[in-house]
Amino acid sequence: MDTLEDIERRAREAIAAADTPHGLAEVRASFLGKKGSVSELLRGIGKLAPDERAQVGQGANATKQRIEAWAAERKQALEAGERDKALDETGLDISLPAAGPPEGRLHPVTRVTRDMVAFFTSMGFSIEEGPEVETEFHNFEALNIPADHPARDEQDTFYVEGGQLLRTHTSNVQIRAMTGRTPPFRFIAPGRVYRHDLSPRHSPMFHQIEGFMVDERTTFGDLKGVLHAFGRHLMGGDVELRFRSNHFPFTEPSAEMDYACLLCDKQGCPVCSHSGWLEWGGCGMIHPHVLGACGIDSERYQGFAFGMGIDRTAMLRYGVPQIRLLFEGDMRVLEQIG
Amino acid sequence: MRLSLEWLAEWIALPDPAALVDRLSTGGFEDVEIDSVGPDLSGVVVGRVVAHGKHPNADRLSLCRVDAGDGEPVDVVCGAPNVAEGQKIAFAAIGTKLPDGTKLKRSKIRGVVSNGMICSSRELALGDDHDGILVLDPGAPVGAPIGDVLSSGGRTLDLGITPNRGDAASLLGLAREVQAFFGGEIAIPETQPPQAGAPSSESIRIEIDAADACHHYVGRVVRGVSVGPSPEWVTQRLEASGLRSINNVVDVTNLVLLELGQPLHAFDLSTLDQAQIRVREAHSGEKLVTLDGETRELVPDDLVIADASRAIALAGVMGGAETEVGDTTRDLLIESAHFHPTVVRRGARRHGIHSEASYRFERGIDREGVRRAADRAARLIAEIAGGEVAPDGVEARGVAAEVTEEISLDVPRLNRLLGTSLDTLEVSDLLARVGVACHGAGEGRVVGTIPSWRNDLHGPHDLTEEVARVHGYDRIPTTDPVGSLVPVEMPTAWQRVEAARDGLVAAGLYECVTLPFVGPGDLDRIRLPEADPLRQTVRVVNPISEEESRLRSTLVPSLLRLVRQNRSRQADQVRLFEVCRVFHPRGDGQQPHERHQLAAVITQDAEHRLWDAKNPPPLFFQAKGVAKRVVKELGYLASFRAGAIPPYLHPGAGAAIEIGENVVGSVGELHPDVVAGFEIDVPCALLELDLDALEGLALATARFSEVSRQPQVRRDLAVLLDRDQAAGDVLAAIRETAGGDLVSAELFDRYEGKGVPEGRVSVAFRLVFQHPEKTLTDAQVASATERVVRMLAHRFGGELR
Repeated sequence: MDTLEDIERRAREAIAAADTPHGLAEVRASFLGKKGSVSELLRGIGKLAPDERAQVGQGANATKQRIEAWAAERKQALEAGERDKALDETGLDISLPAAGPPEGRLHPVTRVTRDMVAFFTSMGFSIEEGPEVETEFHNFEALNIPADHPARDEQDTFYVEGGQLLRTHTSNVQIRAMTGRTPPFRFIAPGRVYRHDLSPRHSPMFHQIEGFMVDERTTFGDLKGVLHAFGRHLMGGDVELRFRSNHFPFTEPSAEMDYACLLCDKQGCPVCSHSGWLEWGGCGMIHPHVLGACGIDSERYQGFAFGMGIDRTAMLRYGVPQIRLLFEGDMRVLEQIG
Repeated sequence: MRLSLEWLAEWIALPDPAALVDRLSTGGFEDVEIDSVGPDLSGVVVGRVVAHGKHPNADRLSLCRVDAGDGEPVDVVCGAPNVAEGQKIAFAAIGTKLPDGTKLKRSKIRGVVSNGMICSSRELALGDDHDGILVLDPGAPVGAPIGDVLSSGGRTLDLGITPNRGDAASLLGLAREVQAFFGGEIAIPETQPPQAGAPSSESIRIEIDAADACHHYVGRVVRGVSVGPSPEWVTQRLEASGLRSINNVVDVTNLVLLELGQPLHAFDLSTLDQAQIRVREAHSGEKLVTLDGETRELVPDDLVIADASRAIALAGVMGGAETEVGDTTRDLLIESAHFHPTVVRRGARRHGIHSEASYRFERGIDREGVRRAADRAARLIAEIAGGEVAPDGVEARGVAAEVTEEISLDVPRLNRLLGTSLDTLEVSDLLARVGVACHGAGEGRVVGTIPSWRNDLHGPHDLTEEVARVHGYDRIPTTDPVGSLVPVEMPTAWQRVEAARDGLVAAGLYECVTLPFVGPGDLDRIRLPEADPLRQTVRVVNPISEEESRLRSTLVPSLLRLVRQNRSRQADQVRLFEVCRVFHPRGDGQQPHERHQLAAVITQDAEHRLWDAKNPPPLFFQAKGVAKRVVKELGYLASFRAGAIPPYLHPGAGAAIEIGENVVGSVGELHPDVVAGFEIDVPCALLELDLDALEGLALATARFSEVSRQPQVRRDLAVLLDRDQAAGDVLAAIRETAGGDLVSAELFDRYEGKGVPEGRVSVAFRLVFQHPEKTLTDAQVASATERVVRMLAHRFGGELR
């Protein structure tokens, strides 16, 4: 006859070998059931001496409990395995397309404009807007560009009935914002501007952002400082700027700003027309005549103004080769760069 | 302006080209470039003939070994008689493209492989010499590009001059700039001519009638010239500047214009009626045939040069054909004058002529240089075309030009503007470099004397700019501005535009930006009646085309055009919006009214994809959802009302968008005629909002109310209603009737068809009841529901299903 040790050993092996809950139930019954090995052994207990009987009885009960525990443990493992398998079988192909609301995006020019506005509002510049259909006074005369000035030749202006024009720059907002205000103030003015230029590299409409700051002590050095900070915000911390003397009737001293071409590191490439630099915009100290035209005492107050295109930054940021692509409303383009 | 760099180098010592380009660029000139003139010789290098022997199979050919500086010397067959061992030659390797376009290939010449070519001048397009190869200077470094070695005078300086700097548009002017930036002495060529014969005054009389328009006029007479072609050095210099050679006399006037910036004109003296020059206004109806062969109708505002009987030149702009110097001309009158910039500018614009002369007069010339230029031209003509220069010029003066002679500059003020700390000596020194002689005036002031050629310097700000420019912008310290901390202002219109964009993007639309132009046909295609206010548009005087001749009063045509274009590019669905301004004329010469407008289009999706609903909502309701969302983003609650919609919307599928009692926009599917007019091939819905109409409307403020812990009780009511009963009205009535415990009432189903009587529709509402503190009893809910059912029957003829 088997000893308890034999039974335990066999039970342990059989439980470990059971690979389904049903098989496990059968294994359990073969040891613990009415006709199971342990039960049979217990049935023989009556033939033993009383002191032996108690010893064997205790041993058998302990064996019974151990087998019970092994079976329970195994049962849990088998059931967990079955559920995992079932979950596996009901799994999804997660590479199928996402569902959900359709996707929409802001125009790249809007996104770049917001980026620029965020920078300048963080520097305490307020936003000011002016009309797109503007008077000659606000677009030219007050900006120190009289009717006979050669600078007017450089501006291809759209005129409208009634003697006004489509503003050729956002500088009209300088006049609008400064008139009737007393410094100190600082403003930016983003918006659409228009030039009658039909060459393929241009668009009759594009976007500029104007900025100006006037008080009693703002210097040309401060202008450089603001634009350096702006350049770093827009193009990264190591952008290199260059200020070139130039002539604008509404600022003096005037400068054009360039930034070192980000693609070729000033070595020259097609993007920068092999010059190593990309034109960024114009700036300078507001001309005393302009301050005067706005009723501001130019002996006491001084300040800077700058203006730059927004579209070109968007084109560089998203790799758009032609400005016109921005304004054609082509979903294929907007879905890529929107 | 473009000119020969070598010519400029004769006037002043130049730094290396890169430094010159950089400093002129940062110092005020645009697009500064140094270009090589002549053929593209890239690939052609200096080679050395290291061995020279006879070609084994041809008597007239030789076989050379050429060292091109890139390793092993190669064998080259050469047919030139003058090739010899040890020579430096121009070598073109295999693969080089020659100026005539041929690309060199490895070839066998009479059985011997030739690995390139030793070039003649003609093969390099440097001359006509084809008798032998081009032999280079023995010092030429082997392997160097040939362009670096050939001193053919082959480089030009090309730069843009800003409108204020007419004085720089000459060799002299640029030499002054080089001097300001790099120092050095300017060598001005000799100007005084040798003189002979009778004085000029015996051959010409000069009078200025228009004294305000002509400040100064100098005439010099040269007798007995031989008009003919110019020598090569003259034509080369003119061509480098883009000027065509005409004849030796005209060429000299142009050459001196390039040298000194003073426009000149030469008349054939024999053609002048009564040997007389009058500078006067043109007579009404007077005509002049200019040098370009055009007949010009003159007006009294035109300033002309005339003889005793007729106009012979448009002053400062272009000469006349009848007095032109030609082959038979013997005696000349050289004109050098100072005309008023505005007069010349108006004349040039009026007649559409932009000449080298008018360019310079418009920008202002050196008032002290008029006589010098006449002398210089007379001297050069005598040298080149022969003849004798008559002693003394004839001069006449009009009213002196208004000039700024001195400017007082406050140096502390300058430093306060620039952010520099220059002292008066440094400032004086910087100004002296641009010809402004300064003396101290105490208290930090310097007084600068403005040179006669700087017509752009009028006040202290102009001198400040000169100081900054010469000092160098890069040397002005970069600083952070200091200012008071004040709140940033954002215009409400700006904020609304931004919120609208966010709302539309969240609703799944793409933003587009389009040009503001429309044509009259666009307004027809959106069915605007003649009297519609949107028909009033601002007309562009110089439009791109007739179809883009109006500023848009509505965004609708622009977006509908995009729908068609995108569909033709096979877009399955178009979901676009634009937020910008539209323009409404106000008349009376006033600026138009600019309103911020939003418009969006959505088309039915032409594709059905994996997760798409089997029954997508009708397009109208998609657009209505977008409208609701945008209005909410703007801070309002939208309501929708049928009727009162614009003519381009479908009368049965359109609604006005209202906020309170105010109509602020519209939403709907397109009218079929509009669909047809824009050739749109899918159902399309349109949404418009007038953002400025929101100005002053009270925002819908969100308020918290206590969230009840009590259970909700839901009751669904399916009601038969007349088909044309607006469900929204029914829902509103339910909300009014159901009592204070109703927390929400929604319409969740609508059905017509089998089981519903003809002309009726089954609409299902879900009513949710909840009390803030107590659990509602069935009886309480039943009573409220009963009230609703009775109301539905009574007011809407509704029957419970």
